[in-house]
Amino acid sequence: MAAERIKKLLCLWRVYAYLDFMLLTRDLRLFLNYFITDTLLNLAAVSGTFLLAERFAGLGMWSKPQVVFLLGYGMLVGGLINTFFSFNVLYISRRLGRGQLDHTLIQPQPLWLSLLTEGFMPLSGSAILLPAVGLLWWAGAELGLDPGAGWWALFAMQILASATIATAFSFLWGSLAFWAPRAAEEISSSALRIVYQLTPFPLDGSGPLLIGGLLSVLPIGFVAWYPCRFLLGLSPSPWDGALTPLAALFFALAAGLTFAKGKKHYERTGSSRYLSFGHRR
Amino acid sequence: MSAPAPPGTSVSDIAVDARGLCKTFRQRQRSEKLSQVFANLFRPQIRLVEALREVDLQVHRGEIVAYAGPNGAGKSTTVKILSGILAPDAGQVRVLGLDPIADRVKYVGRIGVVFGQRTELWWDHPVAASFEWKRVVWEIPRPRYEHMLGQVRELLSLDEFFHSLTRELSLGQRMRADLGLALLHEPEILFLDEPTIGVDVLAKRHILEFILELNRTRQVTVMLTSHDMDELEQLAGRIVLIDRGRLAFDGDFDQLRRRFADRRRLRLQTRSGQAPPLRGAELLGSEGGWHEYRFDAGRTEIVALLEEARTHSPILDVETHRAPIDEVIADIYQQWRQ
Repeated sequence: MAAERIKKLLCLWRVYAYLDFMLLTRDLRLFLNYFITDTLLNLAAVSGTFLLAERFAGLGMWSKPQVVFLLGYGMLVGGLINTFFSFNVLYISRRLGRGQLDHTLIQPQPLWLSLLTEGFMPLSGSAILLPAVGLLWWAGAELGLDPGAGWWALFAMQILASATIATAFSFLWGSLAFWAPRAAEEISSSALRIVYQLTPFPLDGSGPLLIGGLLSVLPIGFVAWYPCRFLLGLSPSPWDGALTPLAALFFALAAGLTFAKGKKHYERTGSSRYLSFGHRR
Repeated sequence: MSAPAPPGTSVSDIAVDARGLCKTFRQRQRSEKLSQVFANLFRPQIRLVEALREVDLQVHRGEIVAYAGPNGAGKSTTVKILSGILAPDAGQVRVLGLDPIADRVKYVGRIGVVFGQRTELWWDHPVAASFEWKRVVWEIPRPRYEHMLGQVRELLSLDEFFHSLTRELSLGQRMRADLGLALLHEPEILFLDEPTIGVDVLAKRHILEFILELNRTRQVTVMLTSHDMDELEQLAGRIVLIDRGRLAFDGDFDQLRRRFADRRRLRLQTRSGQAPPLRGAELLGSEGGWHEYRFDAGRTEIVALLEEARTHSPILDVETHRAPIDEVIADIYQQWRQ
């Protein structure tokens, strides 16, 4: 059963990768424009933090290469989310608010499988992944990181956990659109805007109340800052490495339960709105 | 209210079995008065709209059923419930022996759904890409897929635009492609919610012929909604009318005509240019010596009308025919509103 599910998952990713490839290669100029623009926009989004680190030779206890590592990590998380959950899967409130969940419900597969695969865009998403890898590589070289297999495993685990938290955060807020389709249509994008705006900053030096808030109610600290502290050896305790995956588990569970509750509500009420744009590329 | 099952019908012959379906929606009410706007913030005014009330509906395998009613009667709600998108508040529904909500994954693999105002096609991709996508998501075995693809491409004439982008298709082409897509996995039952809305006469004829062919050759059960009654009469042997959530009629089109007055038209050509007044018939108009009347054949005999007309002026020619089904339905809707 599990093997069949994995096979189906891979088949679906393959067909969505094919659709992404067909979309981008329809016009070479469009492809290059899209790729270059997206790369530049994403680099511009983190340039403010980089310039501050450059001007002051770091930020607080973080050296310049450490800040660049943080920026690269945050971009990698964002890039992975964009690669796997594009086209309003990540911005789930748009689909729910626009009455487009019906399209997914008439597919003969579990809803989670549809949501895990429908937004897969490996080519379009890589416009963020490549500069992110470049930043991480440069920072690693400057910091003299010589990671072994264990460090890479921890890195992968932290990245996965951070991406899960950001996605779960979007779904958690986005599920509100089940109850308020019009009012909450854009709530996922608002929630993620907060995440992306605060991600590129080291949070050390903030008060415990603020840090506590940014690691719980608004779990932005887990998207880059907290796991980077651990990976770069800035954490006081080696157990800090377990907190981000645990938080990911908690937020994924909370988002899953809220979404399931919202879906039950949707089954009862349906959607009185329907907008055709946005869920098909 | 539902039509009795034909003699010898077994449970497995029933494709759709809905009993006592109820569905109520809540609608927020807003007032223009400022005082009520503030009051609404704390105690919102809710109006309950009963979309379905105790609806019983059985559809047999291989049947084509027209499901009609005025706007807001509950047609789309029924189709959504039968498609597994919406759950009823009360009542039971089994389609092909399955519960559309509880058995959703298994169930939707056996049905086809087309919503005329929506598309399942990928907007910025060629039609061909959507078909390939469907093959993977619905896990259609390659030989079966190729076989069905060949059939729908031929019957729906998809070849001329199969490699064009969906967003560049005309509405009629898009509907044909959507229909073809819905049939690729060989569904046992097809729910069509206004499948010809906005399409031209030729495209409509294409679609109707295809549905009939599909039903004839594959015994696919079809349940369709439309506001075009002529279209429904061409396709379906049975019509179910719904009004304000209640089933108001279930039978064939002849029964419908008889039940809601057997409306006929009478056209007379008389020597005198003036239309003779006829008791039991309503004059609709006169032109070139021809006079057109509307009458209820259940109440007034045509012979009596002709005899009365002859007393006024010699009759040169006579034509009679049934009123168009659209007119019958419009009168029924009017009666319901009153």
